Amino acid sequence: MVDPRVTGYADALFAVAAAEGDLATIEDELYRFAQALRSDDDLGSTLADATVPASRRQQIVEDLLGGNASAITTALVSMVVGAGRSAELPAIVDALVERSAASRNKAVATVRSAVDLTADQRDRLAAAINTRTGRAVEIKVVIDSTVLGGVVTEIGDDIIDGSVRRRLNQLRESFR
Amino acid sequence: MRNRRTRLLAAPLLALVALLALAGPAAASGESVGSCMAEKLGELIEESHGDMEHVVHELHADASIGDHFEKECIEAPSPILPELNEIIWGGSAFLILFVLMVKKGFPAVKGAMDARAERIRGDLDAAEQARTDAQAVQADYEARLADAKSEASRLIDEARASADQVKADLMVRHEAEITDLRTRAAADIESSRAQAIADLRAEVAGIALGAAERVVQSSLDAEVQGRLIDAYIDEVAGDNG
Repeated sequence: MVDPRVTGYADALFAVAAAEGDLATIEDELYRFAQALRSDDDLGSTLADATVPASRRQQIVEDLLGGNASAITTALVSMVVGAGRSAELPAIVDALVERSAASRNKAVATVRSAVDLTADQRDRLAAAINTRTGRAVEIKVVIDSTVLGGVVTEIGDDIIDGSVRRRLNQLRESFR
Repeated sequence: MRNRRTRLLAAPLLALVALLALAGPAAASGESVGSCMAEKLGELIEESHGDMEHVVHELHADASIGDHFEKECIEAPSPILPELNEIIWGGSAFLILFVLMVKKGFPAVKGAMDARAERIRGDLDAAEQARTDAQAVQADYEARLADAKSEASRLIDEARASADQVKADLMVRHEAEITDLRTRAAADIESSRAQAIADLRAEVAGIALGAAERVVQSSLDAEVQGRLIDAYIDEVAGDNG
């Protein structure tokens, strides 16, 4: 069960992004920052460190996003970090993405790949998933070098693994 | 006891007193030498008509007179037949003594003898009883000794049987433990062998897969990545049919 606090923050961020009229960009920037926070333990621990003053943590966020994201995205992340909820920020962003997709009657498909997908590939993959599962999805790409090659798609609890890593693991299992 | 002893002593004392009392009259009967000599001298004085000087003169003049007196008076009595008075006195004393003995002495002696016999009989009975008791005690002791020996023998047998049982149990347990140890050792050896093989295979696989991963990584350029993604999309789309 999702933490009500997480959904509360997600609803707030969604409302702000929608009010600003640039929901897709803000959602995408928040999603990328959440993925960076997931993959960088040092950054996560620093932003979650209560001994570090909130202003200092917010300054770190502004330094990181200042030239790479919109002012609204930077302000929203800074607000969450300043509230001491940086540890929950990835879950908040996931809830935001799902809520945003749900507002368009779509599900979120998280795609992990060693390289980014082109717009055409995203569209074809969304269409393929729609064809396969009967669900309209929005593609969210996560760059993950451990995949080596290919793609791993997660839609809710369903996983479609077509990565080179999986094939190597299957090969490893066959040796046992 | 004291009265009986007194009666036993009284009987001979009474006999002795009676003998002495009766002996006096017997000696004074005139049968002694002195009385005989006095009697003869009296007769001589009578013959001389009381003339004492004459008598003394004759006695001095004729020594044979004195010799005659002595011969008559000192003549020995019969060695076989006592004097009559002696028979009388002796018989009376004997009868008295006999009667006293029959009436007093014999019952006293008989009573003492009976008492002594009774005491001896009692002692014998007591000794018999003591002997019987001793035999009973001995029999009881022997019975207890036999029981103790039997009990000791039983205990020894039980201890021996218990020791044998313990020994057998230990042997069985040790055999089981040895068998178990052997089984476990064999299982451990087999497990270790299998683990070593698995480890070796995993090591070989790891080496091989590491090499394969490096080869794959070096060959995964942008074009290949694009083809892999396209193939994946086609696969996802194709699975529907």
